[in-house]
Amino acid sequence: MIEVENLTKRFPTRVAVSDVSFSVQVGEIVGFLGPNGAGKTTAMRVLSGFLPPTAGTARVAGFDVVTRSMEARASLGYLPESAALYPEMRVHEYLAYRARLEGVGGAEVKKRVGEAIESCLLQEVANQKVENLSKGFRQRTALAGALVHRPPVLILDEPTVGLDPMQIIKIREMIRSLGRERAVLLSTHILPEVDAVCDRVLIIDRGRIVAEGTAAELRSRLAGSPVVRATFAGQVDAREPLASLPGVTSVSQESAGDETRVRLECATGADPREEIFRTAVARGWVLRELAREGVTLEDVFVRLTRHEDVRPESEPLPPAEGVSA
Amino acid sequence: MRKFLAVVGREWRAYFFSPLAYVILAAFLVMNGIIFSAIVAFLNTPGAPKGQALPFLFTNTYFWIFNLFVVPIITMRLFAEERKTGTLETLLTSPVSETTVVLGKFTAALGFFLTLWAPTLVYVLILRSQTPIDLGPVAAGYLAIALIGAYFLSIGTFASILTKNQIVAAILAFAMLIPVFSAGLLESLSNDPGKRDTLGYFNLWDHMEEFSRGVVDTRRIVYYLSATTFFLFMTTVTLSAKKENP
Repeated sequence: MIEVENLTKRFPTRVAVSDVSFSVQVGEIVGFLGPNGAGKTTAMRVLSGFLPPTAGTARVAGFDVVTRSMEARASLGYLPESAALYPEMRVHEYLAYRARLEGVGGAEVKKRVGEAIESCLLQEVANQKVENLSKGFRQRTALAGALVHRPPVLILDEPTVGLDPMQIIKIREMIRSLGRERAVLLSTHILPEVDAVCDRVLIIDRGRIVAEGTAAELRSRLAGSPVVRATFAGQVDAREPLASLPGVTSVSQESAGDETRVRLECATGADPREEIFRTAVARGWVLRELAREGVTLEDVFVRLTRHEDVRPESEPLPPAEGVSA
Repeated sequence: MRKFLAVVGREWRAYFFSPLAYVILAAFLVMNGIIFSAIVAFLNTPGAPKGQALPFLFTNTYFWIFNLFVVPIITMRLFAEERKTGTLETLLTSPVSETTVVLGKFTAALGFFLTLWAPTLVYVLILRSQTPIDLGPVAAGYLAIALIGAYFLSIGTFASILTKNQIVAAILAFAMLIPVFSAGLLESLSNDPGKRDTLGYFNLWDHMEEFSRGVVDTRRIVYYLSATTFFLFMTTVTLSAKKENP
């Protein structure tokens, strides 16, 4: 439903999107992941018809966004990054306005508005003015506005930015259910979001797609050797005994307060955790913690978008959810 | 058409949701009320010519001062506000053409402008109940208000798309309206008949006097309509260009 071929968008001072190609099918939710300023919003604006491409083509529901802009726009529900609304309008009025802008008329307007209110769980605020809504409800109203004409394609630019955790969960649930019969492209710089919502990920950096695949694929492709961490009470020298365990390639340890922390790098596929436990029991060490580190999408992301010349974004990345490979 | 009406409807409602609309409306009624009372006072003087006073409603100095100030205030938010808040992105990614957007917003502004004038029809009715009034010149006067209003509003609409700041948009509109209005006034400073003729073509003050005497000159109408079309066209072109470089 979304087909992008060799898309380039150049601004007078910089190239925002450079030779990007990808596609999104019906029933698929694709995450556009990248650091701030990577070109996500620009690419989405080209798809939405807001910016013309410098080179390459983009099609939405089979319509070229330049030559058949009207049809492409009609097939598209677009939630801009700003999610801007008119503060003086009531929620249902805003949705009716959006429906009419899409050419819906008569009794159908009311039906579509009802539908959008229901699918975005806006019943309790339908009669309130937008200016009195919380950020979460505003975001949902904007999302409902993008849905009101039942578009087969949805493009959502950072749909969860600025929301609290409960609101984020709600919006994600909505997006997942919307994605069952639509093609959805959503952008985010929040890594757990990709794991939580998307079927497939496109990692974009400095205007180029640097990796593409499912979250699991990306993890396994970029996974280094598995790592096991163990913590023992007191001061012990665990290096020698643990290094001789099968599958362990190297051991390092450090003492911290009243405990000793050990890090073991293992051969691919090896899992020496049970052996470590038995060794600890046999030697009389008290085991406080034992865990195998999964490769998080964050590792993948950092590895792909780390630039030697540029310091990483000052904005701290949210902690990755504990996902094991 | 449906989309056009959706744009007009939203703009129209936006006017009446802002206190500014009511301030303008009230100020306008106060001004016209003063003028009306002056007309009534004039009619009460012995020997006042019957049916000659009403044109004063359209040709006094306040009429022009008020239009020059009020039009920029009516049009300043049309595009500037949407560009600032970001709603323009939603509007331009809806399947609505730029022409529809521009015409819709302009129509709403014109509608609001005419709404300001609507209450003055009551004055006509009141006067008519007391003294004979020739309705032809009155109709011509209102026609001129609509046409010159549309012309000024198209300039204001164009000013609004040039900036994200409403105040700047209003000042720009004012700065553009002043030369448009005053160029024609230079007519009286010139003795050269050729120059006077050309400048007379732009002399809105005189045009208004003509209309209020009931003289409907098609040259005037062509001037207003073509100028309005020109500024609305420029607005549409600028809107398309903004897409290129937001």
